Amino acid sequence: MQHYWFGDVEGGACTPAQGDLGALSDRLDTLRITMESFIPLSWEDAVACGVCADRRDYLDRLRALCIRRAETEISAYYQQSDIELLQMVRMLDEMDTVINLLTERATEWYIVRNPGFSRKYRAIGAKKMLSIIKKDRASPLGSLAGEIERLASERTRLMREVSTRADAVAPNCSALVGGLVAARLISRAGGLAQLARLPASTIQVLGAENALFTHLRSGTPSPKHGIIFQHRRVHNAPRSTRGRVARVLAAKLGIAARIDYFRGEMSPEFLEKAQRRIDDVAGIA
Amino acid sequence: MIWIDGVLVSPGEGGVYGERMLKDHRVWDPRRSKLAALFAKGGGRDLDPQMRILYLGAANGTTVSHVADYVESVYAVEFAPRPMQDLIEVARRRKNVVPIMADATHPVEYAPLVEEVDMVIQDVAQPDQAGIVLANLPFLKQDGVYILMLKTRSVDVRADPDAVITATVRNLEAGGLKVHAATRLEPFHRDHAALVCTRK
Repeated sequence: MQHYWFGDVEGGACTPAQGDLGALSDRLDTLRITMESFIPLSWEDAVACGVCADRRDYLDRLRALCIRRAETEISAYYQQSDIELLQMVRMLDEMDTVINLLTERATEWYIVRNPGFSRKYRAIGAKKMLSIIKKDRASPLGSLAGEIERLASERTRLMREVSTRADAVAPNCSALVGGLVAARLISRAGGLAQLARLPASTIQVLGAENALFTHLRSGTPSPKHGIIFQHRRVHNAPRSTRGRVARVLAAKLGIAARIDYFRGEMSPEFLEKAQRRIDDVAGIA
Repeated sequence: MIWIDGVLVSPGEGGVYGERMLKDHRVWDPRRSKLAALFAKGGGRDLDPQMRILYLGAANGTTVSHVADYVESVYAVEFAPRPMQDLIEVARRRKNVVPIMADATHPVEYAPLVEEVDMVIQDVAQPDQAGIVLANLPFLKQDGVYILMLKTRSVDVRADPDAVITATVRNLEAGGLKVHAATRLEPFHRDHAALVCTRK
């Protein structure tokens, strides 16, 4: 017997599938088909089955079913807890870039309007700079600087939100490297499910794809770390042990991601052991 | 195929993705579409009004919309949710497009939905592209044409594209196909080739 979306066909006889779109879709999910014994459907069988009147009707019904199934699957996909987190992390990273660019440009503009001004010998950070520029009321520059400041405070709010969400979505990864770095790893992997399936060696160089592919193509030294460089244990380690710390941290992150994905809750025993091992190789036992 | 002053076009309602119109026809840009590039290089097989097509790796439905302008019906298979949203929108406007959200490496997922087709077009970024061809052969009519858009960099980033093409052709021939031509798609698409195959 051959199972098709509109019914079952055996020896020229057809039993139509019953019910509305939802029922047809549910039935499709229960079909067990093997390609070895599979014979492609012919739409005339659907007419014989009494499911549709003609070719036009056949296609319309099939399209309605397929669109319905795809829409259901898409909304189920978007409802996973980590999908929105991906967008938030990417928005955060783009905001960083944009805010830096705008601040630099505003500073250059401010210097043109104030020939006597110089940042030399004065520790003026981006934030301070903006509040100085903001006082320039005589030009659009002043209010623009105010807007950049607001964007920067929105960025801080988003960062906190990302961190909180990451704590919930991936508690073990977040405990190891902090919510922000954990969120960036998930984002780069394309989701928590994907991250949980990555080997530690890949997690170690996530975010260093350019260096990795240059290494594979032309034999330059391999990258030691990607995103996980942002973790203090890695970037505070002396150069000679940095690769080692990155490797151990990545290995523990690989395990943490799997606990996060498959168990979904914090594991204090694991975290304690992992933390001790990372501290060990970082030489801070 | 319809060419206006040397420009490949398709007959149909415009505005799908901001494509240019030329004398009431939609311009089909070889730089955006690998299939259009294959036609531009002279290696394409004509799309006829009575044809049924299975398109694997339909993405946003850009190329699919042009194919649908020419043929009777298109079964468009795509796996990723984001492009699938766009593909559904294309299918709402084009009554001969059936959008299927499934994985081309697992044809059982869409076997109960797809009929036998005159042509399969495969454009997926996967390592085992020859394997996917062989897995989808049951949907191809005895005298049908299988067009594989081979992304050599997806098979192996390190290997020389020509070596990947040769190896893929060998795999396809071992699987019972005859590869009529392997057309490199430069200058429109780097490191891509179109393999036109039929059953032996």
